[in-house]
Parts: sequence; C-alpha cells; structure tokens
Amino acid sequence: MKKTVVTLMAAGLLAGAIVAMPVYADDYDQVTFAYATMNNLPTEEGLSTVQEAVNEITREKIGVEVTLKPIGLADYTQSVTLSLQAGEKIDVLSSIYTFASDVSNGMLYDITDLIDEAAPETKELIGEDWLKTCMYEGSLYALPTYKPVASHGYFVCRQDILDELGIDVSTVKSAEDLTDIFAQVAEAHPEMTVLAPLSQGNLDEGSLWYGIDYLSDSREKAYGVLFDGDTTVKNLYESDYFMEQSKLVREWYEAGYIMKDAATTTSSVSELMTSGNYFGHFTENGLMPEDLAAILTSLEGGGNPITVIDLREPYISTSTINMVTWGIASNTKVPEAAMKFLNLTYTDPDVLNLIIFGLEGRDYVLDEDGCYGYPEGQDAATVPYTAALSNGIIGNAFIMHRSVGTSEEDNEALLEANKTATVSPALGFMFDSTDVSIQYTAVNNVASQYLPGLLCGSTDPETELPAFVDALNAAGLQDIIDAKQKQLDVWLAENK
Amino acid sequence: MLTSKKFNRFATIFLAILVCLTVFPILLIVMASITDENTLLREGYSLFPSKFSAGAYYYIIQQGAMIFRAYGVTIFTTLIGTVISLMLTTMLAYPMSRKSFKYSNALSFFVFFTMLFNGGIVPSYIIWTRLFHIKNTIFALILPNYLVSAVNVILVKNYYSNNVPDALIEAAQIDGAKEMQIFWKIMFPLAKPVVATIALFTGLSYWNDWTNGLYYIDDAKLYSVQLLLMKIMNNVDMLKSNISLGGAGEALAQVPGTSVRMAIAVIGVLPIMVIYPFIQKYLIKGVVVGAVKG
Amino acid sequence: MQTKVKEKKSTRQKTAPLFLIALPGIVYLLINNYLPMAGLFLAFKRYNFMKGIFSSDWCGFDNFKFLFTTKDAWIMTRNTILYNLAFIILGTAMSILIAILLCELGQKLRAKLFQSVLILPNMLSWVIVSFVVFAILNADSGFINNAILKPLGIEGVSWYTFTGAWPIILIITNLWKSAGYSSIVYMAGISGIDKSLYESAALDGATKLQQIKNITLPMLKPTVITMTIMSVGRMFYSDFGLFYQVPQNSGALFPVTQTIDTYVYRGLMENNNIGMSSAAGFYQSIIGFILVLAANAIVRKLDRDNAMF
Repeated sequence: MKKTVVTLMAAGLLAGAIVAMPVYADDYDQVTFAYATMNNLPTEEGLSTVQEAVNEITREKIGVEVTLKPIGLADYTQSVTLSLQAGEKIDVLSSIYTFASDVSNGMLYDITDLIDEAAPETKELIGEDWLKTCMYEGSLYALPTYKPVASHGYFVCRQDILDELGIDVSTVKSAEDLTDIFAQVAEAHPEMTVLAPLSQGNLDEGSLWYGIDYLSDSREKAYGVLFDGDTTVKNLYESDYFMEQSKLVREWYEAGYIMKDAATTTSSVSELMTSGNYFGHFTENGLMPEDLAAILTSLEGGGNPITVIDLREPYISTSTINMVTWGIASNTKVPEAAMKFLNLTYTDPDVLNLIIFGLEGRDYVLDEDGCYGYPEGQDAATVPYTAALSNGIIGNAFIMHRSVGTSEEDNEALLEANKTATVSPALGFMFDSTDVSIQYTAVNNVASQYLPGLLCGSTDPETELPAFVDALNAAGLQDIIDAKQKQLDVWLAENK
Repeated sequence: MLTSKKFNRFATIFLAILVCLTVFPILLIVMASITDENTLLREGYSLFPSKFSAGAYYYIIQQGAMIFRAYGVTIFTTLIGTVISLMLTTMLAYPMSRKSFKYSNALSFFVFFTMLFNGGIVPSYIIWTRLFHIKNTIFALILPNYLVSAVNVILVKNYYSNNVPDALIEAAQIDGAKEMQIFWKIMFPLAKPVVATIALFTGLSYWNDWTNGLYYIDDAKLYSVQLLLMKIMNNVDMLKSNISLGGAGEALAQVPGTSVRMAIAVIGVLPIMVIYPFIQKYLIKGVVVGAVKG
Repeated sequence: MQTKVKEKKSTRQKTAPLFLIALPGIVYLLINNYLPMAGLFLAFKRYNFMKGIFSSDWCGFDNFKFLFTTKDAWIMTRNTILYNLAFIILGTAMSILIAILLCELGQKLRAKLFQSVLILPNMLSWVIVSFVVFAILNADSGFINNAILKPLGIEGVSWYTFTGAWPIILIITNLWKSAGYSSIVYMAGISGIDKSLYESAALDGATKLQQIKNITLPMLKPTVITMTIMSVGRMFYSDFGLFYQVPQNSGALFPVTQTIDTYVYRGLMENNNIGMSSAAGFYQSIIGFILVLAANAIVRKLDRDNAMF
C-alpha cells in the first residue's frame, strides 16, 4: 500500500510538471480550430493546401494563422475534451448538444466583452435574442451557429401510394388525421409496414408536438417543460396531452401500422424506407416541404417519389438555437485572435467556403446558379478535401455555397422564417442542472426504461404511463421541476 | 464402462455439435455481409439469401483506400507488440515464482493491483502524450495498455511455480549459472506451453485493439484495421442518432447499413481465420505436445 | 557481526539479479498503470477544465451519491453479482470441458479445426454480436420466429420484451463468445501434466472418467483458483456491450439487464460528468479489491500454496 501512495505522489508531481507549450517563431497569433466533419477526413495534402489558402486570407485580414483540425463527428466531443484536459492546443471549438455541460465544466472562455472588440459584425448578425441562448449567469460563452432553425413537423411518405389510393392529403392537419390514411394503406398493402421509426425506440411523433419548450432537455427525454406560452414548469408525461398522444400511437400499434420491433430495431430510417417496405415516417426539418421532398426522394425513395406533409408550425426555444454552438477554450492563450477568426467563419464567405468545401476547381465546382457540385468524375469520397456535410454546424449557413436545387430566394425565405417563427417565452433561458445531477442520473434511467415502449406504442399507456410517472417521481423528478421553476422565475424577473 | 475409444468418439461428437452451434451465427454474419441490403431488410437474415451483393465490401474499400496499409500497420504492431510483451511478461513472472525471492509476494500484489484499479483515460493520455510524445507515432499502437497484462503475468508465474522444480534451478546455480542465464537458457524455453498461450492472448488483443488508435492517432496513415473499421461504423451510428444535424440525413442515405457492419466483422476476422491454422501449428504445438495421449 | 553482514550481502546477491530481471516489467506497470491512478482523485472532485485535475475543488463523496440514492441500486447490484457468479461457474465448467475434450483429440486435424472455430466468436465485437442476436431473435424477421416457430404454426415471441428468457440468453451469449477462448488457458494447464501419471493410471485399469476426476481436475485446481480470484476482482464490473447492446437497450428488459455499468452509462449519457463516472469506477474497483483480499485469505487458509499473495 505504501508503494502505491508513493507512486500516486510521484504521478502528481510529474503531471504537475507537464506544462510546456509549443513555441512559435513567427509574428502571427496561432489559432487552432477544431471542427466536426461528417465526411471522410481529408488527406494530409488536401488539408494543408486548404489551410494555407485560409491563412492567406487570415494573415492579411486579422493577422492570425490558423491550424485546421477536422475531427470525425463520432469522436468529436470525446477527442476535444481529452485534448483540452491534456493541455493540448485547441482554441476554437464547438459544443454539439453539450453547451450547458461545457459551460458548467468551465470549458469555455467568457466572451462577453471580447465579442464587442473582436467580432462586432457577428454580434450584429446573430442578434441579441439568439445570443441570449448562449449566456450563463449574465455572461456570454459561445455563438450559436447561424442557420435555418424554424423547423416544421413533417410526415414523410410515398407519393405513389397516395396517388394509387386516391388520397388527398391537403385536409390532413394533425396526427389524428393520419389514422384514416394509415388504415387505407394497410388495407391496400398488407405486405407493407405503415410507419418506420426514425431511430431505435423513436417514432419521432414528438416532432408534431407544438408549443412545448423542453427547457434544456431534449424532446426524446424531457423533465419539466413549458406548454404553449405558459411559464409554469410541468411534467410532460403527466399531462393529458402526452396521454392522448400515447393512446393514439398505441392505437396505431395495435392496428399493426408500426413495426413490432420499433423499440429495438437496428435499422436506420433511410435503410427502411429505401427497402420499399415502409410507407412513411415522422421527422422534424427546417427545410421547405417541396425542397425536403425533392431531397428525400433521391435519398430514401428507392426509386419512388416521396412527399412531405406539413403538420406543425415552427416553434423556437433555447435548445433549438444552441444545439450547436462555437466557443473559445477557457485555457486559450490567444482569446482575441480566436475570436477574430470565429468572426470570419460567420462573416467571410471565402473563409467559410474554404473550410466547408475546400479549393474551388480541385474539391468542388460551381454551376451557373452558384450551386456547388463535385468536379467531373469525382465525388465526396474521392476529392482531397471536403466537409460539405458539415453545413449548418459551422459558422453561418447563409453565406455558404448552396446545394443543387436551392435558390437565393429559398435562403431568404428561411432567413425570414427564422425571424417570424413563434418563440417560447423562455427563449434564452438555460437550465443549470448541476444541483440536481443525481436526480438526473436516476430519471434518465427511468426514461430509458419506459419511454421507447410508450413512444413506439408497444406498451399500453393506460397501465404503463402511470407506472412511468410514479417511477419518475420516485426518482426525484419533482426536484428537477422545482429547480427549473426556481431558476426560470429568477431569469424571467431579470429579463422582463 | 467408458473406454478410451468411446470417450474419444464422445469428444468428437460433442465438440462437433458445439462447433456447429458456434459457427451458425458466424455463417449468418458472413452471408449477411454479401446479401443485398434491401433483401436483408425485406426477408431477414438467412443462410440462403435470394439476392447477393458485394456492395458492402465495395463501400468499405472505397471508404478506406488505405485498408491494405492498415493491415500492414496491424500486422506490424501485433508482431512487435507480442514479442516485447512476451519478454516483459516472462521476465516479470519468473522472479515472482521463485520461492527464495524475498519480494515475490509483494511483486505479485504489485502486479495484481493493476488489474483492479485504473485511473481512466485522461491521466494515461497525459502521461503517454506529454511525457513520452507517442502521439501519431507507431509506438502509440504498441506501448499503451497491452505490454504487460496482470492476467498473463500470473498465468506464467503459476506455470513456473507448479511445473518447474526448484531442484532444477539449484542445480544450475551449482553449475555457476547467473540468474540471467538461468532465465534465458532454462526458464524461458521451459515456459513454451504457457508462452504459446499468452502469445495468442496478447496477439489477439493487439489485433483487435482500436482504442489506442482512437486516442493517440490522428494520422490516417497509422490507422490499424480495427480502428479504420471502427471509425466507419461509429460514423454510421453517429449519423443515425443525429439525423437532424447538418447533412447527417444526406450522409446516412449514402451508406449501406447492416450489411456494412457484417462486412466489417468479416474483414476484421477473416485474416485471423486464414492465418490461425498456421500459427496454431507452431503456437499450440507446445500445448498439445504435452497433452494427454488417448 | 561478520556473519550478519555476510548474510545480508548474500540475500542481496540473491535478490538483486532477480529484481533486475523483473525491472523492465515493473517500470512499465509504473508508467502504464500506477502513474495514471492519480486520476482516481477525480472521483472526489468537481472537475473544472479551467482548473484541471489537480486544482479542481474537492467535493468529498458527492460524486458517489447517485449510485446509492436510487431505487435501482439493489437491482443493478444484484444483477451484476448474479451474472458474474453464473459466468464464473458455468464459464469455468464449460472451458474445462472443452479443454479436456480438445486435448483428448490430441494432434488430430479436427482438433485444430474445432479449436479455430471455437475461439472465433471472441474476435467479434459486442456490436456485431448484438446484430447476430438481433438476427436470431427479432420479432418480425428473426430466425427463431421466422424459420422455426412459424413453420410449426406457433405464434412468434416478442423476445425483446420477454424478461424471463434473458438471463438464459445472456448467459448463453457470453458462453458462446468466451468459453472457447478461455479454454486455451486450461489446455495449457493440461499439457503441463506429467503424462506418466495417466499411463500408470491406465495400467491400474482406471477409466477415462476416473483419470479425469482423479488426475486432470486436481492438477487444474491451481489454474482454476487463480482464474477465479481474478474474476472475483471484476465482480462489480459487467461487460457493457453484453448488457447494453445485446438486449438492444430494451426498456422492458431492465429488471434483468440493468447492471452497474449500464446504469452509470444511461445516467450520465447526456452530461459527461467526469467526477461521477470516475466515482463509479472507483466504487467498482474498491469492492473488487476487498472481495479479492477476502477470497485470497480464504484460499490461503485452506490451501496455502495456491494463494495469490
């Protein structure tokens, strides 16, 4: 045992001694920019040429040299966290779903004043209302990505089958209205399953729920929500609304419209739809119905036309906006340079398009409408550099090259929708769950036990929902709701 | 009465049944990897699918043009890692097994303790990257985690204590042999069966490892096979669970799902299936030579 | 006085070379295992990136509370222990059986073939195994419902909600994956047995079963004891993949699939609380440590030679 103690002490000393930072000889501030990519990682050569092209701009404009550090989306959060803990150099990073915990862990730099000095254009672009979603105890810690957020709740389904059965969808306005259609499809096509789950244990009928602010939780697991403009925090699962929704899904399940294994399936929605065995699925998306339908027809139609039925208006709350945010690492040595560079990713199309699409001519080409495509004979997997799928998770989505089939007007419409969508009265409020983290671990477990069954209709809400609510309460849900209410009241008082 | 012959037959039959049960799910994987994706969804898994497709393998090869390079990296690290590991392990185990060695118990405890407690990835990462600078070098795939495993050390130690009589060592000492000589000339060769066993264990852990690569390697040139496959698979998973993020839906629709995973399993395991009988000849010889003759 | 010095010197002479041989291994374990144990402090800290591991604030046992203040504490602890017991007992029995039978076949080609196949499942990751299990069990197109029950005219079973079946499914899956692999250790053990023992037993007219009972099993005892003590140290751990991925995270199965590791994962999934996950690991280790000391003490009492330390 003694030996162990000695070793532990040695470890402490050693780790304490590890502080050396790399030294740069040149005059430019060095900024390391870590971003998530959903494409293949670029080749070394592809990356260094793009980096040099970015640097040509940044040296001149802001006197900064950037090191680009693309990381696969799957590893992003873990990789960045580990690097920061080890004191490796990362200055600019994004929080993907993790803004709240990143702030409370002290990972992010306070940029309240910095934004005025180094990024006034971005501040104006994003606007006070949106920036509020990245504030914590009165200080600003990050910038939300600037992109279309006015998402609709859609039902996506096979146009050819609607046509075949002569179904008119223009009168369909809610989930209840779909029951009839499902019945007709099931009768005419007994070999098909009507509803495909969006992902394991998730039909995503929640994308049709309107006017709920999940208060820093997700739609998949919500502990304490605001209903439609009200400011009293309530338990979603105890509401009549949730009971009705669950009964509806249960009805679908019992009628055989939902795949039996929806709660445990391993297949993704695009796999299922492409197979031609499924009629449709729910989803939430910020695109216009026609654009989405066009994209989905090629992505998951499997040769059949896809149509999109709009069933829910946009409703914006804090987590809609701060889902992906950009901040500066709290241990950075170059906060100002980092902020200036971040500013460019929101305001300078050349810089942003280099990071997303690479070099024009080599990695992508533009057609006469200004939409991007890959050079002759190449695709996303073969060009030396592309991060094209990271659109919407870096900087400002409105100054990027557009994808084929979209127009400048679409962009304007989306921008307009961002501004006109209904917003939650708690927009800008962020819940700090530190004091109830114990309760969170317990309710998370309860929710993973009961929710998939309820959301996929495989369990009976009449008996299971009350059991679920009891289990939540036993796990301390009320503490969470109380804590939320308390913080919300303080916030409301300050933001009146 | 159970005669030798009958027992031998029983062994064959029993094992044959066991092998069939073991191999059935593996065959399902292999077949699924060459089944057309839609057929897989429509008809479920089958040993005799109605439509075949090499799409999954095509996808993997296209994704990882470096897959052959990755095999090279894996083979290199597996060989070097296993050899070093065998040295360190037997050298550590031998003194522990000597009853005359004062610290043998303390050393056993010292080794065993590492099996129970670990400080997690963060401090390990700091030590290996900041003190030893192994990030993005081939050493990152060899040094962390696998060189000395407590289980292996204890297996070798037990083998020595149970199978090597003290008299042998004493005799060597009387002949004037130094400890190092005793170890090399007598003890190491004597440990053949158990060395064969732990060589297999260690070799397989190097072959199957992707965590070292995940933490310490950014450079695609140093990806091992398992890391490469893991990255492909993780990305598919991540896209699935973040379908509303950026171009995730678009990215997802471009990847075949289930059959790719199966192909990944096959690509990871296939070389071992091919090579194993050859290795087995040498490795398990030690084991089987001494075994009971029927 | 003189003799004492001499004695001391001679022990050092005996000790030093042996110590030198062990040194490279010791150094490696210090670097790879002992230095990082500094991270165990995190279990008692509220981690803050700005302050780092060493300057973050202490928070006593706060990080441990979530493991005990839940109603599930009993279920997850019970499941973890019971499954581990089942794995230790059945796993050992199965591995020894396979080892004995394989050795019985000796150098024959089929022995090699059988062994190659039996260790294969160990090389598949749990994700892949979970897919295989899903292929066999899923309600709509799974092998059992589709290819076995349907032709017999029996209605399909919804396996992923059938709580009663899962203890058996998990145990079989675990045996399938690991028994062949662990049998290698016992094969090595058997090969170390002096063959003349069997020869003289055979001359005395002992049957195969008697030989196994009276020679093989007793000779394997030390290996069994060592392997068991090592498994006891992992008593509070569970294979995350087996309990999370194989049951496809099915909520209905929680009463029989929830273990400490899955509880921690599900609980901390959404906020990566480093302190709390370290605390869980620390708790699992310390209990394992106590259990090992106890197991070792018992072995020591009964059979001194086979104790680990």
